[in-house]
Amino acid sequence: MGWALLLLRISLRNIFSSFLNVIVGLIILAATFFFVVGGSLVNSMDKTMSKSIIDSVAGHAQVYESSSKDKPALFDSWQIPDLDPIPDFSKIKGPLLSDPNVSAVVPEGVNTAIVVYGNTIDQILEKLRKAESPGAGSIMEPAQSNPGPPHEASGQMTRQQRKEMIDSLKAHVRQMIFVIQNDMEKHNKIGAAGSVDPQSIKDLQHAASPAFWAGFDADPLNHLEFLENKIAYLVPDSDQIFLSYVGTDLDAFAKSFDRLQIVDGGMVPPGHRGMLLSKYVYENMFKLKSAHRLDQIHEAITEKRQTIAKNPDLQDLVRQNREQTHEIVLQLDPLSSQKAVSILQGALHSKETDLPKLLSSFFDTNDSNFEARYKIFYDQLAPMLELYRLKPGDTLTIKTYTKSGYVEAVNVKIYGTFQFRGLEKSSMAGSLSLMDLMSFRDLYGYVTPEKIAETKSLEKAAGVKFVPRDQAEADLFGGSTKTDVVQSQPKAINDEAAMGGAKVKRVDLTRQAYTQDEIDKGIVMGAAVILKDPSKLKQTMKNLQAISDKDNLGLKVIDWQQSTGFVGQFVNLTKLILFLASFIIFVVMLVIINNAVVMATLQRVREIGTMRAIGARRLFVLFMVVVETMALGLVFGTIGSALGSALVVLLEHVGMAAPNDWFYFFFSGPKFFPWLNAGSLIGAFIVVVIVTCISALYPAWMATRVSPIQAIAAED
Amino acid sequence: MKRFERFFSRASRLRGEIFLLAVVSVFLPGMMWAADALTQAQMVDILKGIDLRIRSGGDYKALVYLEQHQKDKPDIAQEALVYRRDIDQKLMILFTQPKTDAGKGYLRVDRNLWYYDPTVGKWERRTDRERIGGTDSDREDFDQSDLAGEYDPQFVGEEKLGNFTVWHLKLTVKNGVDVAYPLVEFWVDEATGNYLKRQDFALSGRLMRTSYDPKWDKLYSDSKKGYQWFPHEIHIYDEIDKGNSTLVIIQSVDLSALPENMFTKAWLETKSR
Repeated sequence: MGWALLLLRISLRNIFSSFLNVIVGLIILAATFFFVVGGSLVNSMDKTMSKSIIDSVAGHAQVYESSSKDKPALFDSWQIPDLDPIPDFSKIKGPLLSDPNVSAVVPEGVNTAIVVYGNTIDQILEKLRKAESPGAGSIMEPAQSNPGPPHEASGQMTRQQRKEMIDSLKAHVRQMIFVIQNDMEKHNKIGAAGSVDPQSIKDLQHAASPAFWAGFDADPLNHLEFLENKIAYLVPDSDQIFLSYVGTDLDAFAKSFDRLQIVDGGMVPPGHRGMLLSKYVYENMFKLKSAHRLDQIHEAITEKRQTIAKNPDLQDLVRQNREQTHEIVLQLDPLSSQKAVSILQGALHSKETDLPKLLSSFFDTNDSNFEARYKIFYDQLAPMLELYRLKPGDTLTIKTYTKSGYVEAVNVKIYGTFQFRGLEKSSMAGSLSLMDLMSFRDLYGYVTPEKIAETKSLEKAAGVKFVPRDQAEADLFGGSTKTDVVQSQPKAINDEAAMGGAKVKRVDLTRQAYTQDEIDKGIVMGAAVILKDPSKLKQTMKNLQAISDKDNLGLKVIDWQQSTGFVGQFVNLTKLILFLASFIIFVVMLVIINNAVVMATLQRVREIGTMRAIGARRLFVLFMVVVETMALGLVFGTIGSALGSALVVLLEHVGMAAPNDWFYFFFSGPKFFPWLNAGSLIGAFIVVVIVTCISALYPAWMATRVSPIQAIAAED
Repeated sequence: MKRFERFFSRASRLRGEIFLLAVVSVFLPGMMWAADALTQAQMVDILKGIDLRIRSGGDYKALVYLEQHQKDKPDIAQEALVYRRDIDQKLMILFTQPKTDAGKGYLRVDRNLWYYDPTVGKWERRTDRERIGGTDSDREDFDQSDLAGEYDPQFVGEEKLGNFTVWHLKLTVKNGVDVAYPLVEFWVDEATGNYLKRQDFALSGRLMRTSYDPKWDKLYSDSKKGYQWFPHEIHIYDEIDKGNSTLVIIQSVDLSALPENMFTKAWLETKSR
């Protein structure tokens, strides 16, 4: 006991006695600080991100068909995993719900669709074709009609309303032709003479002529064919959008993921087909590009305190808006164009009458005029524009490439937009839209036994033999083949017989409603499992796997982290990086402390020799060096831990702002509030003490080798 | 060879497609051309010959069977009606089988290739690289041919393709012409003038697909005053997704006149109301 107290007194006295000790202490301080802060951040991010994932799409666990090549990867929408479908969801739902810790089983499958938009003139002509089509929308008599605008959703409008709509669309098309003609003239003037097909110029002149429009009403479809085939292709602004979505039972999804919030429109009625677009996708992909760019600049200036003058990205957005005014010009009919010119002349104090030039000047914004022009745009110009390509209530045609390789398309009504609370600006959480399960199944293109039978029947009727690639030339041109010429006899082809004797009937599925039983019976790609007590996740997963094995459900159960692909592995990756960084720091610490203590010991040869001369044993000397180094570790480790803890506590109150959209997801919101992790604190302390202890062993052993004679020699 | 040159120099003085058609139909199959490299004019004449054989003088309707084989995926089998009015450069493909595809179709008018899906009632513009019905075939496999107008030929050599002696030609697209494949190689049967093998390349020189047309069928056309030729079967092998292939069988051809207004969107829409 006396020894121990003496050693402690010596070590405390010596802590600040040497400059080398201070260096070693600061290294220990920095390492402890790093472990406490890093460990707490990673641990907190693990929790917040898991909350984002579990509460948005994944649930606590996922089940999928065990024969699948891949695992579900809910957020890896750029690469759809190769999953075999679960043939009948109703057969797995009950058994999984029988586990007492399972509160809900929500069917889910991720896919990516393509939404094709024709060019601007194609879109207007399509509307005009629909309005002119004999079967498009029923006509109500005036007495039946409600006041107000035509109700497109019901397809009912009065004759007068229909005529007004057609006249408005025609005027818009004429305006577009005028714009295209102007563009072509400019194009020819800019030294590109000859690059414009003379036939196109003639076609444009014909389409712009009063005679063309005078005859339009008498034969609208033929006039439309002319416009679609001779004029529309001259506008090269067609577009397609890649839309990732989760096909699910929307009612069950909304009940199980309570972060879901409807932003625009409403929820899809129970049992109906329909889609909810992610608000993030809606703003980024469906909004008028010029308006979206203005929003981005506005957000950067007002929320992120950035300036156009200093930010090249914002300057690029300004440039794009200045140069890409075509989308707006083509949207405006003649009356709106005149009005827009007048608004812009007022805003710019200009006498210019050319709308594209005015728009270009208007969008040439800087830090001093941006907010004023932003306001003018939304207050005065936006009401004349279609700010979004589609609105809640519209029907969207989406198509996918099925697993079989061909294209399936469905019409889906868009009921509204949604976001996950706290993840409003997360591009990750906002990357997925929600689609009803019936439409999802149609787009998946599941090859039913009936379809396989139909294919086999067609193959059999054709009676042809498949020739493998490597045998093609030998089979087709070798053997007894001497000529490539055959001669048929004339034979009339009966179109009706080829079509199966009757016209194909199509059903408007967007209005069809389904029972819960119908929704449940059918293929799904997987299902999210929501638990009552998430802390029992591992045990519940084991139970669910056992249920599947016992009932031959053919399922595989994985946790949320495994089911979210790259995103789920992000925390593991962060932990790995922290571990590697820690390992490197340990090694560096070990070497530096070791060297420093060796140098310090060498400086104390006289002192140690004298101690040995007056009777100190070697063991005492050994303990003295080790205890001194440990004391150093404890003192500076405590200071490092305290500073690290103070920083984490400060961040817990102040928060760390997400630097970009991606971090919204990892932070589970716009700000990250980490909390102090007891494990990190204790772990850091233990590690630091052990490392300092180990690094003191060699110098301590060296010190025991010092003899009184050496001490005297050193003095000499 | 001299006989061939004398013949074609006389032919070139007599302009007009009818004469050339007569030459191609009557003389070309019987000609025993020498193995020397073909001149540019001779190659252009070969291409013109192919174009003339395939081009219809009036209307054209064919019942076509398409079968798609894909690696690790179920086969796709479809039937379609192909309508053509070559004089107006119009083409329509209307799928008739299986039931889920019936009513879907393509309409080519001028530079526009439209696709109609009655399931959603929507028309979409497609490019010339469109995989017809999800198969490896494209629009050119069903349409008239304009090889001489679109490509510049280059002689590669005389080769054997199984039992057939063929000319191997390499075609490069002409400036300003928009085609599905800018580089194409053809193997043309010396005896009949039919092409038996074709390889399509991307601009980078990457081989995209190989197709074989081992049997050529012909029907007498009153409007053309000669034979209307068409490949009886086309075996297309995908060179990008190895293991994928398509078989196209032209089961029958009808050269009767088609309704005047049928190459319109409205007509195709009426097939699935």
